[in-house]
Amino acid sequence: MAEVVTRDFVSATQAAVKDTQLRQALRRAGTGFDGTRREAIHEVTPEVWEEWREQARRIKEHTIGHLDYYLEMLERNVTAAGGRVHFAADAGQANAIVAQIARDNGVRTVTKSKSMVSEELGLNHVLEAQGIDVFETDLGEYIIQLANETPSHLVAPALHKTRRQVAQLFADQLGVPYSEDIEEMARIARVVLRQKFLDADMGISGANFLVAETGSLVIITNEGNGRLCTSAPRVHVGLAGMEKVIPSLQDLAVFLRLLPRSATGQRITSYMSMVTGPRRPDDEDGPEEFHLVIVDNGRSRLLADPALRESLYCIRCGACLNVCPVYQRVGGHAYGWVYPGPIGSIVTPGLVGLGQAKDLPNASTLCGACRDACPVQINIPRMLLHLRHVAAEGQGSYQGTGSDTESLFARGFAAVMSSPRLLNLGRKMGRWLLAPLANRGVLGQTRLPVVSRWTRARDLPIPPPRSFAEIWRDELSNSGSDSKRA
Amino acid sequence: MGIPSAQFRETIRAALGRQSGPPAEPYDVLAEEFPALEARAEAVRERAARETPELLDRMAETAALRGWNVQRCDGAEEALDYVTSLARSLGATSVARSEQEVFETVPVDAAVAGAGGLCWPAVYDGPSSRTEVRQRLAESDMGITGADYAIAETGSVVVLPRRGLSRLVSVVPPVHLAIVRPSDLLGTLDDLFALRRLEHVRNGGDMGSYLNFITGPSRTADIEQTIVVGVHGPREVHMVLLDKE
Repeated sequence: MAEVVTRDFVSATQAAVKDTQLRQALRRAGTGFDGTRREAIHEVTPEVWEEWREQARRIKEHTIGHLDYYLEMLERNVTAAGGRVHFAADAGQANAIVAQIARDNGVRTVTKSKSMVSEELGLNHVLEAQGIDVFETDLGEYIIQLANETPSHLVAPALHKTRRQVAQLFADQLGVPYSEDIEEMARIARVVLRQKFLDADMGISGANFLVAETGSLVIITNEGNGRLCTSAPRVHVGLAGMEKVIPSLQDLAVFLRLLPRSATGQRITSYMSMVTGPRRPDDEDGPEEFHLVIVDNGRSRLLADPALRESLYCIRCGACLNVCPVYQRVGGHAYGWVYPGPIGSIVTPGLVGLGQAKDLPNASTLCGACRDACPVQINIPRMLLHLRHVAAEGQGSYQGTGSDTESLFARGFAAVMSSPRLLNLGRKMGRWLLAPLANRGVLGQTRLPVVSRWTRARDLPIPPPRSFAEIWRDELSNSGSDSKRA
Repeated sequence: MGIPSAQFRETIRAALGRQSGPPAEPYDVLAEEFPALEARAEAVRERAARETPELLDRMAETAALRGWNVQRCDGAEEALDYVTSLARSLGATSVARSEQEVFETVPVDAAVAGAGGLCWPAVYDGPSSRTEVRQRLAESDMGITGADYAIAETGSVVVLPRRGLSRLVSVVPPVHLAIVRPSDLLGTLDDLFALRRLEHVRNGGDMGSYLNFITGPSRTADIEQTIVVGVHGPREVHMVLLDKE
């Protein structure tokens, strides 16, 4: 499995906010993708958009609720079409299955189209250790493969890189003349990878959807690399998380409407490819073998928890990343594993264990923008709150890590906030203690113990001389709510 | 290596706390019987035939928005003129095409020859010629295909690779030209899937190995969200939209 460094979340965010190139890259992405997403929704009208979201939600609820049934149907139909389905309980099994298929077929070169599951599995390293050349072919994935990095966004893996960084990377790694011209960089990738497509023995793809009724794997791409990976090599291996299945071909329509619009604001992507088994004897081309690897790797834990189950409805559009004030400041790498942003803060603890990722549910202001943007209406803030609760209090065999001090503080806070008398006393005491240190009514960076942990990244306003209740009583209560009196 | 599917499903059932078996409430779409499916597909066909003029207009408009160079043609003659002028402007010497019915009414070989190029069918005679065909495809200037369907809602051309129709003709050459007949047109994605489902059932659970849904040129925005066309697929796509068969 891909290395998990989610424990370093807090220090990683501190480094990320100081990275000016990263901030530049994030600013561009946030406004770009989300702006076109909003335009696309406006175009179809918000009412129609809501109908689509509800329809998609119903399909996911039903399928995930009967996942065993639909996986069985899928397996039956992939097999009937001449393909083979493999089931992997964890990353180790999934990697071993793909490695074995490669060995059985004497594979030396692999071309890959984008697959987040393969990132999760850390598959490339396993194949490379076997002496196989693996080439990522999605431009963004190709860039981060050359840079030996991991994706920082669900749909735009190299989003954290500026054109200068890519130009330098191409010059260093490919020995081409340094050029900041984006068209030229794309042309270089085309030329380098074109030959690999024709040489490759095996193509690996992810899956956006798996259609149970027909046994089809559906991928949605813009570059055409997915088409080449699934058409040119002798063997095609599709990798999918077990939650990707939908019952009928008819169900695909609504997802094809929702996914591109949510991801990049595109009305439809350039390509949608539907693969049903290997080539038929009469076909001109296509792989001789088709394998589908269905991966659990912790997903059944999310499935078993009714509070977290809906995280499996995610279609990986990345809309929640593009609207998240936290992701927009720290970028994807700070999250420490493959799935960043609001949905990643639920999926990652689910898949790698909350013990390793207990800071992630705190990486949210709970503003709800992610829930509003989600094309399948996943209530992300609710689940983040739930995970915070579990992180502190524990659940089942998981021991909460909330300290006694924290618990005491929380109880004290609750007591103060539910008693006007105590709140008022607190305000007066706070003002008396902190006012001498403040500048223009706020406490900036300070070395005061405890308080400094707050002021390290934010200003602390000093409690005002009079409470709102006092102002109301003395001045406002008799003068109507629209009074302009100070 | 992996685990047996039954064991995999058992884990899922345990997680869901459910017994094996189909959903208690049958899923509407899947419960549809063959006659109902056939009736729905027939209705889709009828509507498309009735609304052809509107669909042509909608197709032309949407496809242009999605990046196709759309050329509406009154008949085969106009279409062939367009093919010749396109081949000439590209300076095309080698043009690959599929073997499809549409080329009987729109014989593009002569049109390409008129521009001084050679149009050849990208079909494999046997395994030995596979590498050769691929190499030729990689060096060709344009690929021409028909359309098995064309979807007005999205401005897309659908091709179903099979005998005579390589998966690679519409993706490897730098320019793709699709010839769309009025009878290929459908209104929506739902229409397309209704017809494919019928095909699936009719063929005893098989509907071919591949479906390509093509909308505009190949593109990427992976560097600084700047859109570049023609990454791994065609940088330029043309649609000849025939107003009548």
